[in-house]
Amino acid sequence: MRETFGRSANLSRRSLLKAGSGAAAGALLPSALPTNPAAAATPGTLVVAAPATPQSLDSNFDVSLGTFEAVAALYDNLLEFKKIPDPKVPGAFREDIADHPDKPGGVNVQGKLAESFELDPNGTWIRFQLRKGVKSNWGNELTAEDVKWTWDRKFGLKAIGGFYLSTLGLEKPEGVKVEGPYTVSINLDHPNPLLVKLQPNLYAPIYDSKKCKEVATADDPWARHFIENNSAGFGPYRLDQLQRGQQAVFKARPDYYLGKPAMDTVIFREVPTSATRAALLQGGAVDIAQYLQPLEIVRLRNQQGVKIDSVDASFMIWLELNSKIAPFDNVKVRQAMNFAFPQEQVLKTVFQGLGEPLHGCMPNIYAGYTDKFWTYNYDPERARALLKDAGFPSGFKTSLAYNAGDPVQEPIAILYQTALRAIGVDLQLKKVPAATFYDAVSQRKQPMIFYVDSPWCPDVGYSMTLYFNSQSFIDYSNYKNDEVDRLLRDTARTADQAARLEMMTKAQQIVMSEAPWVFIAFPGYHFAHRAGLEGFTYYTSNNIRFQDFHRAA
Amino acid sequence: MQVLRYIGRRVLFVVPQLFGIILVSFFLVKLIPGDPAVMMLGPTASEQSIADLRDKLGVSKPLVVQFGRYMHDVVRGDLGTSWQTTRPVTEDLFQRFPATLELITLGLLVAIAIGFPLGVAAARRKRGAVRRFADYYGLLAGAVPDFWLALVLIFVFYTLLGWSPPPLGRIDMAVIPPPTITGSLVIDSLLAGDLRALLSALGHLLLPVLTLGVINAGPILKMTQSTMERTLNSEFIRYAETCGLPRRVVLRQAVRAALPSVLTIVSVLYGFLIGGAVLVEIVFSWGGAGQYAVQGVLNADLNPVLGFVVFSAVLSLVIYLIVDLLYFALDPRMRG
Amino acid sequence: MIPVAVSGDRAASPWLRRLRFLAAVLRARPAFALGYAIVIGVILIALLAPWIVPYGPMVADPNVYLLPPGPRHLLGTDGTGMDILSRVLSAPRVDLTIAVLGTLISAGIGSCIGAIVGYYEGERTWRRAVSTAVMRAADVLQAFPVFVFAIALVAVFGQSLHSIIIAIAFVNTPIYLRLMRTQVLAIRRYRYIEAAYVAGASDLSILARHVIPNAIAPALAQLSVNIGWAILLTAGLSFVGAGVVAPTPEWGSMIAMGFQNVVTGQWWPSVFPGIALGLTVFGFALVGASVEVLADPVRRRVLSGTLG
Repeated sequence: MRETFGRSANLSRRSLLKAGSGAAAGALLPSALPTNPAAAATPGTLVVAAPATPQSLDSNFDVSLGTFEAVAALYDNLLEFKKIPDPKVPGAFREDIADHPDKPGGVNVQGKLAESFELDPNGTWIRFQLRKGVKSNWGNELTAEDVKWTWDRKFGLKAIGGFYLSTLGLEKPEGVKVEGPYTVSINLDHPNPLLVKLQPNLYAPIYDSKKCKEVATADDPWARHFIENNSAGFGPYRLDQLQRGQQAVFKARPDYYLGKPAMDTVIFREVPTSATRAALLQGGAVDIAQYLQPLEIVRLRNQQGVKIDSVDASFMIWLELNSKIAPFDNVKVRQAMNFAFPQEQVLKTVFQGLGEPLHGCMPNIYAGYTDKFWTYNYDPERARALLKDAGFPSGFKTSLAYNAGDPVQEPIAILYQTALRAIGVDLQLKKVPAATFYDAVSQRKQPMIFYVDSPWCPDVGYSMTLYFNSQSFIDYSNYKNDEVDRLLRDTARTADQAARLEMMTKAQQIVMSEAPWVFIAFPGYHFAHRAGLEGFTYYTSNNIRFQDFHRAA
Repeated sequence: MQVLRYIGRRVLFVVPQLFGIILVSFFLVKLIPGDPAVMMLGPTASEQSIADLRDKLGVSKPLVVQFGRYMHDVVRGDLGTSWQTTRPVTEDLFQRFPATLELITLGLLVAIAIGFPLGVAAARRKRGAVRRFADYYGLLAGAVPDFWLALVLIFVFYTLLGWSPPPLGRIDMAVIPPPTITGSLVIDSLLAGDLRALLSALGHLLLPVLTLGVINAGPILKMTQSTMERTLNSEFIRYAETCGLPRRVVLRQAVRAALPSVLTIVSVLYGFLIGGAVLVEIVFSWGGAGQYAVQGVLNADLNPVLGFVVFSAVLSLVIYLIVDLLYFALDPRMRG
Repeated sequence: MIPVAVSGDRAASPWLRRLRFLAAVLRARPAFALGYAIVIGVILIALLAPWIVPYGPMVADPNVYLLPPGPRHLLGTDGTGMDILSRVLSAPRVDLTIAVLGTLISAGIGSCIGAIVGYYEGERTWRRAVSTAVMRAADVLQAFPVFVFAIALVAVFGQSLHSIIIAIAFVNTPIYLRLMRTQVLAIRRYRYIEAAYVAGASDLSILARHVIPNAIAPALAQLSVNIGWAILLTAGLSFVGAGVVAPTPEWGSMIAMGFQNVVTGQWWPSVFPGIALGLTVFGFALVGASVEVLADPVRRRVLSGTLG
C-alpha cells in the first residue's frame, strides 16, 4: 500500500481551515502556556493531539491519517518486521527493513498472529501456522477461517484490498487455502518477491470473521458498516468511542495475547491547527503532537519537557510534472524545471534544515535506492539553455496547484515562482482546499501539482511501480516509458533479489534522466512528544502505534 | 388577538420566502465544483463504485429532480448527510448552532452594554470628550477586521498578561463538559451545578465575546446616538422639558422612545452574526455553525452549507418575529 | 468661532465657494480632514506603488526570510523572504481595485433597478408584479448569511479577482436597490415629475433626467462606507483561503500567511498589514461620515451654523 501524507488532503478533510486561517488560534500561543498536567500526567492515559480523527476505520476504504493509527491499534497482522534501535535517536526503534539474503523472503520478520511460516524458495506459495488461543476483542478465537475470510473480503470489495491482490498476483479467492484449523496458505500462479514483505503492511490486518459474519446483512455481506465504525480484530486495543471531528478513545485489552499494553486509555483528540497542537504539547496538555510544521519543531526542540525524535523516513515530497500536458510532454522542459528549482534554499528556509534533498525517485531508506543519477543541482543557466533547445527561448506560462492544508507547500511554491521568473517561466499558483486536493491530484488534469507520499512496503520494485508504472493508478504524472514498464513487470515476477536490484537501478537511471517530477525533499519523520514517554518506534507506514509506548519509571 | 393574527400573517409570508432562499442556495451551491462521490470514496475507488454512489446520492439526476428530492426531505426535517463528519446535517447543526448562538448572544449583550450607554451619553452633549470618543469609536469599531482584533486580544490577554485560557474551543480539554440540555455550556453547567465546567466555559467565552462586543458596539452606539438626538429634539420631549419635568424623567422618556430603533439594529446584527461570526469562530476554534458552513463550501460538502442556510434563515425569521413582538410590548401605539 | 471667508467674497465662483466651505468644514471637524488625508494617501500609494516600493512585492528572497524590522527591510520580511513594506504598500492596488469596482458595480446595478422598481411601484400593471418580484428577490438575497454567500460565490466562479469582485457586487446590490427605491418612491410624487409626464416625456427620460439625479445623494453617501466594508470582506475571504491567489500582495491574505510565523515569535508579517487595513477602512468610514453630513441639508445647515 502506498501512503499518503499527500492524503493530508484526508488528514484535513474536516479541518480545511487549519493552514491559513485556523493557524490563527494557536498562532499567538505564548511560550508560557499554563501547564495543565491533569490530562497528560495520568500514568495510564495517553493523550494524542492529531490533525484529524479517523474518517472510517475500514482499511479497505479509508486512507486518512487518523485511520492509520486506529487500524494499527485495533488489528494485528500475521507477521511483523523485527525491531532494531534507531541509529540516530537513542531510545527510539525502527523496523529492520534491510535485505537479509540468508532469511526466507530476504527479510527479517517475526511471527505475530502467525507463529511460524514456510516459504516456497521460488516464491509461489507461503504457509502460515497460526498462534493458538488468540482472542479477538469479541472473544472469538483466531482460526484459519479468519485469514481466509480476510482475503475473501479483499476479493469481494475490490477496493484498497484489490491493490494488494494485484501486487501479489493473487487472481482468485481459491488461492488462499485453509489447510487445518490453524494452518493457512497463499498460493500464486507466478513467483512473487513480496509474499513475505507484504504481510507486515499496516493495511493487511486480519479480521475476526465470526463477529463480522454476525453483523453482516444481505445488503452488506462484508460488514462494511460495522467495520467502518467499530472493530473486530485481534489487536491490542478496542474502540471505546468515536466522535468524528472531536475525538476517538481506545481502551487497552487485558486479554491481548501479547499482554495488556502499558497505556490503558488513549485519547486521540482532533486539533486541526498545527500551531495549536504544538502549544498543547508544550503546555503538557497532551503527550504527543502529530504533524507539526518545521518552524514549530525547531522551536519545540529547545523546550524543556518536550522531546523531538527526528528519524529518517519513507516520506517524499515532489511536484508532479504532467507528461500529457504541454510543455511538460517535452523531456528537456522537465529537466529545465528541475535545474531551475532552488532545492537547497527550500530545504534551508521552508524545511528549516529538517529534511534531506530528494536526489532519487524512491525512499532513500529502502534497499536499492541510489542517488548516483542525480544531476539537477540548481543551475538557472542550464535551465535556460534547455528551454531554448526545447523551443521555449522566452519561457512559457503554466500553473502549480498546492494543498491549502499543508503549510510547507505555499512557501515552496512562492520560492519556486520567484526562481522560475529568472528563466522566463510565469508560474501561477493555485490553492486547492485540503479536502478536494486529492481529487485534484488523482484527476491528473493539473500541469503541475504537489504530492507527498511514501510507499509503505520497503521494497524497491514496489516503490518504483507505484509511481512510474504507466498502469499504476497513482502514476499521477502520467509518466510512460516502455523500457521502465518492462523492467517493472519483470521485477514483480521474480524472487531473485540480485536481478531485481539490477533492473531497478536501470529503471531509476531512466526515470531520473526523464524527470517526471520536480524533486524536492525527504522531509523525514519528526515525532514530537513529552519527555518521559518512551518506546517510540518508526514504521514505514509513518504512523504511531499506541502499544509501543510506556512512561519512564 | 391582534398579535396572533399578526403572527399568522407573518408565518404565511415566511413560507414562500424560505422556499426562495432554499431554491437560490440550492442552485448556487450545486454550481460549486467538486464531486462528493469521489471525495467520499477516496483515491482507490473504482469508476463503478463512484457511479453507484452517485446514483445512490442522486447527484447524477437533473438538478430540478435533485431539488425536488431535497425539498421533499427538508419538509421532513432531513437535511442530508455531511461527507466530512459522516453524520446527518441536522444532528451536526443542532450540536453546533447552540455554540454559535451562545457566542453571539453574549457578544451582543456586551455590545449593548458598551454601545447603548455611550450612545445615550454622547447624545446628551454636543461636544466634549465623551462625544468625541463616541464619534471615533463608532467609526473605528467598524474599521477593524474582527479576526484581527481577536488576535490582538489573544496576544494581549493571553500571551502577554496570561489572564485568559488558551483560545482552543469552548471548554478546557481536561474538563468534562456538562450533559447537554440546552447546548449552551454556561446554562448546562449551571443546570448541572458544575462549577468547574462553568468557570472554564466562561473563561473560554471571554475573548471571543469581547471581540464581538467591541466590534458590534459601533453600530449600536451610532443608532442609539442618532435616535436619541432626534428624540431629544422632538416636540414631545421639548414639551416635557417646557412642562418642567425633571431632567432625569425626561431622559428616561427619551430613552424609552429610542428603544425600538435600538432593538431593530440589535436584531439586524443578530441575524448578520449567525453567519458573520465565522471568522471569530475560526480564530478561537469554536466549532460553531458558521465554521461548519464555511468548511462545507471549501470542501464541496454541500449538504452542510444548504442546511446552514436553511437553519440560519429560519432563525433570523424567528428573531425578527420576536423583535416585532417586543415592539408590541414597547410601543403602545402598535397595540392599537 | 472660526472666521469664515464665505461672507467676504460673494462674487467668487460657486466652485470656489464650495471649496472654501469644504475647507471650513474640515477645519471645524478635523476628523473629516484626517479621513480625506488617509483616503487620498492610500489612493496615491496605490497609484505610485511600483515606483516607491523598495523591493518587488512578489519576489521571494530565501536569504533574508523572517528578518525583523530593520534598516534594510523597514517592516521586516516574511517566511519566504518577501519584503513586508513593499507588500503592504502594494496591497492597496489589489484591495482598492476589488473594493471600488465591486462597490461601483453594485451601486450601478442596484440603483438602476431600485429606481425602476420604485418608479413603477403601485401601478396596476404587469410592471407592478415585476417590481414586487424584484423586491422579494432582494429580500431573499439579503436573508443570506453574507459571508457564507460570498465564499460560495467565489467557490462557484473560481478563485480570482473577478470572482471576488462579483461576490462583493452581489452582496451589496440589494442595499442600493432599497436605498434608491425608497428615494424614488418619495420623489415620484413631486410636481415636477408630473409636469414632465404631462409634457410627454418618456418614462426612460423622466427616470434618467429627473428621478435618478434627484435621488442619488444617499446612494453616493453610502459608497464610501461600502468601499470600507468591501475591503474588510475581501480580507475575510482571503483569511479563510477564498480570496486572492498567493502571493498577491493583499492585506487579508498577508495576515493569514503571517499567522503561521507568529507562533514562533515573528509577529511582524501579520501585524503591519492589519494596521494598514484598519487605517484604510477607518479613512473611508470618515469620508463616508462627512459625505453623510454634507449631503444632509439639515445637518449641513447645523454645521454651517456652527461655522458662521
